[in-house]
Amino acid sequence: MNSEITKTIDDINQEKYKYGFVTDIVSESPKKGLDENTIKFISNKKNEPDWMLEWRLNAYRKWLKMKKPIWSNLNIPNIDYQDIYYYSAPKGFEEKPKDLSEVDPKLIETYNKLGIPLAEQKVLAGVAVDAVFDSVSVATTYKGELEKLGIIFCSISEAIKTHPELIKKYLGSVIPTGDHSFSALNSAVFTDGSFVYIPENVKCPIELSTYFRINAEDTGQFERTLIIADKGSYVSYLEGCTAPQRDSNQLHAANVELIALDDAEIKYSTIQNWYPGDEEGKGGIYNFVTKRGLCKGKNSKISWTQVETGSAITWKYPSCILKGDDSIGEFYSVAITNNYQQADTGTKMTHIGKNTKSKIISKGISLGKSQNTYRGNVSFLRKADKSRNYTQCDSLLVGNNCGAHTIPYIESKNSSALVEHEASTSKINEEQLYYCRQRGLSHEEAVSLIVNGFCKQVLQELPMEFAVEAQKLVSISLEGSVG
Amino acid sequence: MYIDKEYLENYKNLLFSDFEEVREERDNVLKKFVPIYFDKKNNESIKNVDNNKLANLNYNYKKPADVDSAIKNSNNSYTIKLFNGKCDNYKDENLEIKNIDSNDSKFFFNNKLANTSDFLIDLNSLFLNCGVKIIVNKNKNIDIKILNIVLEDGLTIFQKNLIICEEGSKVNLVEEYNNQNSSIHNIYNVFEVKKKSVLNQFVIQNNSKNHELYLSSYASCMKSSEYDQKVYNFSNGYVRNYHYSELVEENSTVSHIGFFFINSDNISDNKTYVRHLAANCQSNQIYKGVLTDKSKANYFSNTYVDKIAQKTEGYQLSKGILLSKDSTYFSKPELRIFADDVKCSHGSTIGPVDENAIFYLRSRGISKNTAIKMIISSFINDDLENISNEQIKSIVTKNLNEFLDNIV
Repeated sequence: MNSEITKTIDDINQEKYKYGFVTDIVSESPKKGLDENTIKFISNKKNEPDWMLEWRLNAYRKWLKMKKPIWSNLNIPNIDYQDIYYYSAPKGFEEKPKDLSEVDPKLIETYNKLGIPLAEQKVLAGVAVDAVFDSVSVATTYKGELEKLGIIFCSISEAIKTHPELIKKYLGSVIPTGDHSFSALNSAVFTDGSFVYIPENVKCPIELSTYFRINAEDTGQFERTLIIADKGSYVSYLEGCTAPQRDSNQLHAANVELIALDDAEIKYSTIQNWYPGDEEGKGGIYNFVTKRGLCKGKNSKISWTQVETGSAITWKYPSCILKGDDSIGEFYSVAITNNYQQADTGTKMTHIGKNTKSKIISKGISLGKSQNTYRGNVSFLRKADKSRNYTQCDSLLVGNNCGAHTIPYIESKNSSALVEHEASTSKINEEQLYYCRQRGLSHEEAVSLIVNGFCKQVLQELPMEFAVEAQKLVSISLEGSVG
Repeated sequence: MYIDKEYLENYKNLLFSDFEEVREERDNVLKKFVPIYFDKKNNESIKNVDNNKLANLNYNYKKPADVDSAIKNSNNSYTIKLFNGKCDNYKDENLEIKNIDSNDSKFFFNNKLANTSDFLIDLNSLFLNCGVKIIVNKNKNIDIKILNIVLEDGLTIFQKNLIICEEGSKVNLVEEYNNQNSSIHNIYNVFEVKKKSVLNQFVIQNNSKNHELYLSSYASCMKSSEYDQKVYNFSNGYVRNYHYSELVEENSTVSHIGFFFINSDNISDNKTYVRHLAANCQSNQIYKGVLTDKSKANYFSNTYVDKIAQKTEGYQLSKGILLSKDSTYFSKPELRIFADDVKCSHGSTIGPVDENAIFYLRSRGISKNTAIKMIISSFINDDLENISNEQIKSIVTKNLNEFLDNIV
């Protein structure tokens, strides 16, 4: 290996987490630990109706009987569920502020440091933000305008109170509470999250966005997001995360459910940049996320796009159940791991209806001593006539201490369905590097350019606001001097 | 669970039953079969194996009566007939063939797959009752044909063979499985491909409906050696082909190529696993299958590249054609890579026969059936043309035609 590559790798290894700071807001928490009382405390705190509490307790009882999933290619330390706070709300937020000026200026400052344009600039950019600071929604902008169209965009705790019929019908319908241990845990103790309902034939005019922040130490954050797109509607939803630098590990187990009815389309984009731990692999967020979309109606479409750069452990498989005839599922992913990060991420496409189509593009980049795994499941059931899948997953290795793994499961039970899968693993092409260098780019710039090109297929799927951020993030994750 | 009962009852008849250390090891293996560990969901090795059948194994092994397993010798070519996994001892300047007897307990412990949680290999260790050792001497160039013959119905044969290709040797090995009875044949081949040696292996399987064949193999490849395996499965009965190999020293190459053609409610289980443990090695894993009726097939392929195995080239390809709406194909092409300077890829497709190709042929006046047959034969034709051994070519072509005649 030539000295410059070594230098670049060293630089990359030395890259510090740029978003590591802690906002000093007094948090109001119950005691640590999880039992039925904790759940009652959370439910009570949120003034939830009885049926909701019962639903949570049911999930908790299921969770007690379940074991942690073991099939992933991850080394997960034992999690002490009794050493975690399950509820933390910034003080004084029982009464929600009506607009930004009423929001704690410290919070606004935190968002500004992160470069989240929650305030004026974002409004100008046409984005309504439902920011979750720890577990309670802080402010919801643009709500009025959305209301005019009949769109419901609020926190899930509010929706439980105001739209119980929708919650009762759809919550847990895509991810059953007993699906696996993390989904049961989330169902039992989820504190907040977003709820979106798009009525028939409405195209949501702006991109809805939530910024999740994990703030108080040892607070597991359990969001629950539910998005319902009624017949003929369209919505694009953005989710992004950064977290302050911490030493002790933090647990995060979110559930996201999407439901698309006839002719509806949901586009869900994520940038995840949580604290990955330091160079020795100490600290960092454990990210166990269950995301699942159900294409319930005919001709519906769900598209997942994700850029994963953070977290010490990522365990995440946004999936699509293609139940309606002619429905479409898409998955675009970039996963970058550095230092001691571990990622086991991918998707699951279950073709049930006729003429269903799915497309998977996954790009994994491993650096340092990290392990990056793509795990995907594509299955065609008996009735999925003329269905199609195309999968492409490419991995890039930088340095020889990391690992890149590809574990696809492909099953076809229908003779008219067609599935194609391709995967490749390689290092950065020397000739491409040489070409870039010849034209006057520094080594770092060249690497960044090539990697960005490698990811382009995915990044171009992101909405405008995110695309810029994502490109920056890719560069930051990669090197020490470019960006 | 009756495996433990069968094991205890028949222990005296197994190979190496006099050795205490073998007994200990076997007892450890037996523990894996305690119901609590009998975890079908998380164990690939028994994905399509009938659990009940496995548990209710009826151990029955008979040594063959004096049969003529003469090894015919003409111009460096040998034919070995293995009756119930046994044959006569033989030795000349080219090779040595030795029946495994109960004296050499080292043979039992020559098992690199002991910890891979492959239940069928564990079962083989547990009930091992026959096998042969074939050593091809240095720098010899020979052809060997092995006919695996099971003599009667209802037998359970647990056979383990060791085949050593000494330095610089070149071996063309043909293995035939053509059994028409309802026995269980669990066979585990261990190949040692030494420095600069070349091993070309053809496996042709054509068993009848009730005959179950569990064929596993493990090959270790030394410096600059070549191991080339081709498996053709035309059986009407269940066949499990699990083939593992390790590239232990530099510049070695290995390829696992397989074809299966299955019909009615038959199942074909396939797995190939290549471990790259040294630099500058190459591997290929290619499996193609055609499924009709209610048949079912699996293919697990896996490439593991160790940290020191730089400049590795490892390729996988899996292709399945489903001809009927009730057939099922499952494939899991895995890559586990820990070195950066590698070229590894896999491709996998499952689907029907290409509609456009059928249309093209039909518009030229060819009937639909003939068109489908033409397309399927072209599916393996390019490989067939590379076979230099005319005898194998004709066997494969004959079996393929038989399969094609029956599909419409």
